[in-house]
Amino acid sequence: MFDRIRRSLSKRRGADDGSHRERGDNAGDAPSDGLRADGGTAAEPDSASLATRLRRSQFLESLPFWGPPGFLVLLFVYGAIGWNFVISLTGWEGLGQPNYSELSTEAYTTLLTDASFIAAFRNTIVLLLVFTVLSLIVGLVLAILVDRQIRFENTFRTIYLLPMSLSFVVTAIFWSWMYNPRIGLINESIRGVVGVIDSAVFWTTVELGFLTQAWLDDPRFKLAAIIFALMWQFSGYCMVVYLAGLRAIPSAQYEAARIDGASAVRVYRRVIIPQLGASTMSAAVVLMVFALKAFDFLFVLFGVNPGSSADILAVMMYRVAFDRLQWAYGSAVAMVLFVMALSVIGPYLYLQYRRGEL
Amino acid sequence: MSHDKRTDADSRISRRRYVAGAGALATVAVAGCSDDPEGDAGIEDDGADDGATDDGTTDDGGEAEAGELEIVHWWTAGGEEDAYNALLDGFREEHPDVEIVDNPAPGGAGSAIDTVIQNRVLDGNPPSTFQIWPGQALTPYTDEGLLEDIGDSVWDDEMREAYLDDIVDLSQPGGDLVAVPINIHRLNNLFYNVEVLEEADVDATDIDDPQGVLDALEAVDENTDAVPMAHQTQAPWSTLQLFEAVFLGQRGTDDYLSFVEGDVESLEDEVRAALELLSEYADYYPEDAGSISWDQGNDRLIEGEAAFLHQGDWAAGQYEAADGFEFGEDWDMVPFPGSDGIYHSVIDSFVFPTNNPSPEATEQFLNYAGTVDAQERFNPIKGSIPPRTDVPTDDFGPFLSRQIDDFDASDTQPPTIAHGTAVVPAVQSELEEAFANFNDNLDIDTAYEAIRDAF
Repeated sequence: MFDRIRRSLSKRRGADDGSHRERGDNAGDAPSDGLRADGGTAAEPDSASLATRLRRSQFLESLPFWGPPGFLVLLFVYGAIGWNFVISLTGWEGLGQPNYSELSTEAYTTLLTDASFIAAFRNTIVLLLVFTVLSLIVGLVLAILVDRQIRFENTFRTIYLLPMSLSFVVTAIFWSWMYNPRIGLINESIRGVVGVIDSAVFWTTVELGFLTQAWLDDPRFKLAAIIFALMWQFSGYCMVVYLAGLRAIPSAQYEAARIDGASAVRVYRRVIIPQLGASTMSAAVVLMVFALKAFDFLFVLFGVNPGSSADILAVMMYRVAFDRLQWAYGSAVAMVLFVMALSVIGPYLYLQYRRGEL
Repeated sequence: MSHDKRTDADSRISRRRYVAGAGALATVAVAGCSDDPEGDAGIEDDGADDGATDDGTTDDGGEAEAGELEIVHWWTAGGEEDAYNALLDGFREEHPDVEIVDNPAPGGAGSAIDTVIQNRVLDGNPPSTFQIWPGQALTPYTDEGLLEDIGDSVWDDEMREAYLDDIVDLSQPGGDLVAVPINIHRLNNLFYNVEVLEEADVDATDIDDPQGVLDALEAVDENTDAVPMAHQTQAPWSTLQLFEAVFLGQRGTDDYLSFVEGDVESLEDEVRAALELLSEYADYYPEDAGSISWDQGNDRLIEGEAAFLHQGDWAAGQYEAADGFEFGEDWDMVPFPGSDGIYHSVIDSFVFPTNNPSPEATEQFLNYAGTVDAQERFNPIKGSIPPRTDVPTDDFGPFLSRQIDDFDASDTQPPTIAHGTAVVPAVQSELEEAFANFNDNLDIDTAYEAIRDAF
């Protein structure tokens, strides 16, 4: 963050310095002063030059602009994270106040042997990866389809993007109805299709009833059902990101490839998709962070106890802290979650930084 | 070009305006924050008055010490809210000078209230009083001395005599009397649809023990199209309380009490037997048990699509509300087989937090909550029975009157795990997690180990 500020400042400084010098010359200031301030050749700082330097210091000049917000962010974001880390070391439980005099990493060592943490950690990773990859693929396919100058393009785009604008609470309730094994749309349609097949292919011997499942009850399908619902919600977002990426590719490339005789599949595979790296990157980061925050979705569906087949760290953190009053342990889970989020965001920010886009 | 420049300039101006606007907004917001908190309280108060009848709050200009009584509770569903408002009406009649600030934290069985209360208590800013399960659920508060001893101020001799001993004990988990129980729900009920059972040729009153329940479920499954047991597994508490019922029915109160005290290992066989039976019950749950809430399951019992339901007697409120579904003719209830003389109690109570913003009004309210008048107003509407044994039963319907008779005649009134009175919140939460996994996989070994490790 500071790097960013400093660099944006240095840009400004370059521009401003010119005007400063000009003004200085016009006013007929002592040339030595101007030299010292700009050239840095001063041997001893006398009071006048110090005052001038302070007055001209870009740092001080800009301080009122980035200082207060920077301070607030430091305090309320990074300060809170730091404090959370300290709490995770205290062993704080119950409704008393934490004791900061004895710090230990016991909470973290307990985590390693806690079966529910291991299950939650595993589920979080699976959710993170599978959900992100699937959403990207579906989003890419949708984007390519929508990009082919179809009719009602805007309408389709809106339809696909709309789920993204719903809150997790709405989609969770909505999908719990979809997945209801008795009256839910999914099993009803499977039954319908199976019925049609049965009546059309009267000699069928394959029992297709196994296709209807209690999607949200069965530990085998629970996480997959959640991932599917989340994918439904976020692939529209991926589509929009990819669509922007596709629009940025000059149409000359399509034409050139076509003239060279490449098939449509080949054009996309060899020419277009490789250029969508930046879009993939930014969409993936957003998706991963959403996957880490899927708390609302699970909480609405299952409350604080989704069971080990669908538990994720965010839900576990809430359960441990607010159900069991084990604040320190909950903070430790939160720190793990924080490190995971950081390891998603960190490389992305670093890459952006290297590219000079930050 | 020039056009571009102009739009650029425009946008710069508008950006500057944005900043100015944001600054102005922030100033207003800060001013709003630093404004008097009574502004908010006033709004909430209006809401409370709308919900209740508007007679209570007479002018309280003179009495400064009376203060405002802020009550945090989770009674926001239909019948519960009516019962709560009836309670407040009664309190207002006796203490017209106290202004009540109603502050509900909705969420079934207190799922949201805990967070609200814990945060406020940690910040040293508790409400005047709040709803909480008595018993072990109080221990996080009593451990830190966050609840006032009301043994002298509220629990006078008259009141102590009116309450059964087990209930008084639950009000003093740390030695001091700190809570006033206001209602009791029975948990070990087995509700059933009379017609479905007749069709299945099952007589519920003939079932002797939890094993017999399984036979009855089988008979229902064979002879009717109905779901034998309208159980829900979406949230684990229903299965946890069913486990409690099975264990109580198989082993009785003494073993149950040593179980909740954490002596699981010496009861290993008994716990495993209960889990075993529970896993056999699971064959007779609805196929969408994991997607429904308990009341949706109960609806199916009302519609004649399900035979049995184990649930607290709050389930009966739904039967009362259903048209043409009469107690005795259409639905009935037996104590969960094997637990006849037991009144498995789910209790709500109010407490007196320290740092109280309105000590006097709180004391008045707690005193009132312990009276016959309060419990007579509140309980018939809530569908629970009064913890006082001297409340006239005229206003209670036939079902609740029978429950009151059962309660008065009961041998023991053990606390419950699923509703907080029997174990501390951390243990309760771990047991719930164990049963969430048990709902998933019906694995007895894993469940037993998780239960053992929970204590």
